[in-house]
Amino acid sequence: MDLDHTTDESSFRARARDWLSANAPKEKRPADPGAANAFDRAWQRKLFEGGFAGISWPKEHGGAGLSLIQQMIWYEEAARAHAPAANAMGLALHHAGPTLIARGAEAQKAFHLPRILNGEAVWCQGFSEPGAGSDLAALTTRGAVDGDVLVVNGQKMWTSYGHIADYQELLVRTDPDSKRHRGLTWIICDMRTPGLRVDPIVNMMGERHVNTVFYDDVRIPLSNVVGSIGEGWATAMSTLTIERTMSFLPDQIELLQKADAAIALAERTRLSTGEWAIEDDAIAQRLARVKADALALRALTIANLSRLSRGNEPGAEGSVLKLHVTTTYKTLSEIVAEILGLDFLVYGDDRDSNRAAYEFMWSWVLTISGGASEIQREIIADRLLGLPRAR
Amino acid sequence: MDLTLGPDEQQVVASAADFLRKRAPIARLHHASGGKLDAALLAEMSALGWFGMALGESDGGVGLTAVEEMLVFREIGRGLGPAAVLPIALAARTAALAGDRTLAAALIGGKQVAGLALADGPVEAAATSISGTFRTFDASEDGLILFATPKQSVLVRLAGRTELPCLDKSIAMGAAKLDGAAVIAQAPGPAAYDAGVLATAAMLQGLSETALAMSVEYAKLRETFGRPIGAYQAVRHPCADMAVRCEASRAQLYFAAVALRDSRADAGLQLAAAKSVANDAATKNADWNIQIHGGIGITAEFDAHLVMKRAQVLSRWFGDTRETLRAVLEGAAR
Repeated sequence: MDLDHTTDESSFRARARDWLSANAPKEKRPADPGAANAFDRAWQRKLFEGGFAGISWPKEHGGAGLSLIQQMIWYEEAARAHAPAANAMGLALHHAGPTLIARGAEAQKAFHLPRILNGEAVWCQGFSEPGAGSDLAALTTRGAVDGDVLVVNGQKMWTSYGHIADYQELLVRTDPDSKRHRGLTWIICDMRTPGLRVDPIVNMMGERHVNTVFYDDVRIPLSNVVGSIGEGWATAMSTLTIERTMSFLPDQIELLQKADAAIALAERTRLSTGEWAIEDDAIAQRLARVKADALALRALTIANLSRLSRGNEPGAEGSVLKLHVTTTYKTLSEIVAEILGLDFLVYGDDRDSNRAAYEFMWSWVLTISGGASEIQREIIADRLLGLPRAR
Repeated sequence: MDLTLGPDEQQVVASAADFLRKRAPIARLHHASGGKLDAALLAEMSALGWFGMALGESDGGVGLTAVEEMLVFREIGRGLGPAAVLPIALAARTAALAGDRTLAAALIGGKQVAGLALADGPVEAAATSISGTFRTFDASEDGLILFATPKQSVLVRLAGRTELPCLDKSIAMGAAKLDGAAVIAQAPGPAAYDAGVLATAAMLQGLSETALAMSVEYAKLRETFGRPIGAYQAVRHPCADMAVRCEASRAQLYFAAVALRDSRADAGLQLAAAKSVANDAATKNADWNIQIHGGIGITAEFDAHLVMKRAQVLSRWFGDTRETLRAVLEGAAR
């Protein structure tokens, strides 16, 4: 075991640090959704031009072809430089792109991968439905083959960035007699296709982040099918393992920063009793606990990446990480809420009015989306512990 | 960067586990009294190098590192092996650092034992004498005790102690007062304390993993309402949480061991975090292990209570929950 960097890793860290200090935007991400989207795309474009787009993507697909550890180093340096998060570009980089690399046809890869890397295309996911969230295989949105097109009818839900996305990874039932995981098809849906309507779902923070998408005879060329007709489940699952570990890396790194920021907050905030928050034993203990957990999560990330780098088959690592990161984030946001006392209550339905209140509410998004905590525990019970199944 | 065990490290784990299974099986604890190691067991553990694992060969040690020592102690924890190994190993390190080669050799060779002393009130420690009230573990009436802080470690001879029954019957506990007792060996610096934190966290990690393994095994076998209880989410989910605690605390333990071995600047902070998450994981997993076993879990004949009792003792060695959390918060600044 060792914590040393190879020469390649050290020189990559130095290169990333230099580039970020020269190129990370100094201005804040705008609050206006349209301007924020332009900001996200521009930052991705800059990353692409600097050679830092798709760091662990293979070179032949336009990525930098670097290791998982170098990907982690990138995120650490980006956090250190307070560089923007991927935001709307995240799904394409962490999920749609890797899915196309794993299962896409040559023409699909040639068209989409460069657009993902250079920030031209925003992707959203069309998996969940009103009746199929945790139980994704219960989905009922229909896709009927008509000549060389697939005619889609139905409804998707919880579509993050659906209102600004260019493309969607759409999972539909193409065999009406099929049950569960069989008879599904994964298809690339152009969000400008006629018959498609995107309605906002305003969240409890007062923001539009997720949407409902309705499909009324939406005609998508069959050439957009990724994998083959009826094999959509395999396509959807092809990237859920390593990507689940990788996509939570920024959250894990951010958590350590947030823990330190919360300790600093407690050192400069007085409680209603007049004492400094950090002098309160209960608060101090809980902050220390979160700091220790955040450190352990970093160690766990390194342990997971070491295992994956050795070519071990991914197991439930991503679920362990997701469950622990999101519950720790929630605990931290609760402590911060307590430190702030009455000031926590000042919230004007936008994140800039009170970052702490926003993050307190955002913590439920983390523990519910992308597989709720309860689903992660099921995956751990099945794959890591081999417990008998009831379902 | 690599936090997976290499072949040599796996070999250390396998041989320690094998020895403990044969020579100190958990079953022995159902009729245990005190933590006395018999001469034969002491000699065998000495031959394995357990009392001088991370000491250099010039000091009579094995010449391995904090990482291998951590792995051995994790196996001792996992199999509820003799916790008394730890104070002997730390005493050997203190004697060696103090330049007392004869005493170090006796400790490493299994000819001399030492118990552990924890402060039970204010302690005044000078270079040559020490005063204060202590709780002793696995110390004989007139035996050596090791007392370590982040600033120094000392060896002192007891002149009497009051025996106290210990929650964990495999450990002998006592109360002792020292009033200007002569220091036999003194080593400045955190070496023994840090090694103690790491080894205790490692034993706690072994306990966490044992508790999880016992629960999972039982959940697959025990049936209620016509199904194994491991098919119910009320049992599956606590087991998953036990697994998450195990995974996170193991990764942090490995990180801290490497940080200590390599004298990284953040070693103190990493050790404090490792002890803190290990305390939490071991006590919570031991708790759930009893709960998941139901009625049998609270009986004397079953092993679950032994895991809980050992976890309660070890969570108080080298930093209880309050102390380790304070150390984390202070960034273990020294």
